[in-house]
Amino acid sequence: MPNLGIFLLLSAVLFITGAAGVLVRRNPLVVFMCVELMLNAGNLALVAFSRYHRTTEGQVFALIVIAVAASEVVVGLALMVAIYKSGRPMDIDEMSEMRG
Amino acid sequence: MTILIAAPQAASPALTILVAATAALSATSGLGVVLSRRPLYAALSLVVNMLSLAILFVVLSAQFLAAAQIIVYAGAVMVLFVFVITLLNPLREDSPVREPVQVGIAVFLSAAFMALAAVMFLGTSKPGVFPEVDIVAGATPFGSIQDVGTQLFNVFAFPFEVTSLVLVVAAVGAVYLSRGK
Repeated sequence: MPNLGIFLLLSAVLFITGAAGVLVRRNPLVVFMCVELMLNAGNLALVAFSRYHRTTEGQVFALIVIAVAASEVVVGLALMVAIYKSGRPMDIDEMSEMRG
Repeated sequence: MTILIAAPQAASPALTILVAATAALSATSGLGVVLSRRPLYAALSLVVNMLSLAILFVVLSAQFLAAAQIIVYAGAVMVLFVFVITLLNPLREDSPVREPVQVGIAVFLSAAFMALAAVMFLGTSKPGVFPEVDIVAGATPFGSIQDVGTQLFNVFAFPFEVTSLVLVVAAVGAVYLSRGK
């Protein structure tokens, strides 16, 4: 069995990849997917630590993170559709203001 | 699954190979999400990434979470993503990335943090060896539905209820946002 460091390193790699995607990409849908990648990386770290300490709490946290991520995706994609219907360009730099 | 959990951890090269291959697949598909030009390809890379993470969850004896990951993430969430991508098809980007300066800074910071993480997690003198999770007769297996459910409904009952509230608010918000004028 590989040790904890491998899993944490993979988690860090995925998180950094996602963060770089959020910083670099313009398409809001891809930015969303990169946020999902970051959440998944956090989940992997939670599960690895849960296994390391032999307690189930980390898995429960990860489950709640999955639920919150799902609701976040629902709201975010509804926003995308609303912005698309209003005829604005799908560019993250065009959406930097909260006002409509 | 039981075999994976009960396997003696000192000598199991098959498990090491499985974890290494899955980790490589996961990192590659993660890069695919960021680097692919088309949003649909990014979504498919993300599906691969989530499935590989589900395999790693099984290795970490989180069987229930692996199932939830596949059903909720690779199933529901990604279907929603693909649906919206195909719905908003004319997402042709003139330049998919931002200004070169921004990209340069992002790549530099990522490389720096990646090096930091590698030094932190691999260069430590104390290897984090996972403790044995053996199956005792009569006890609930670690990471099973029973185990997670007992925790969720006893200790974390309040966060669980709050999560359901969050889900309801999100559903109502989504309906409100996407209503017809």
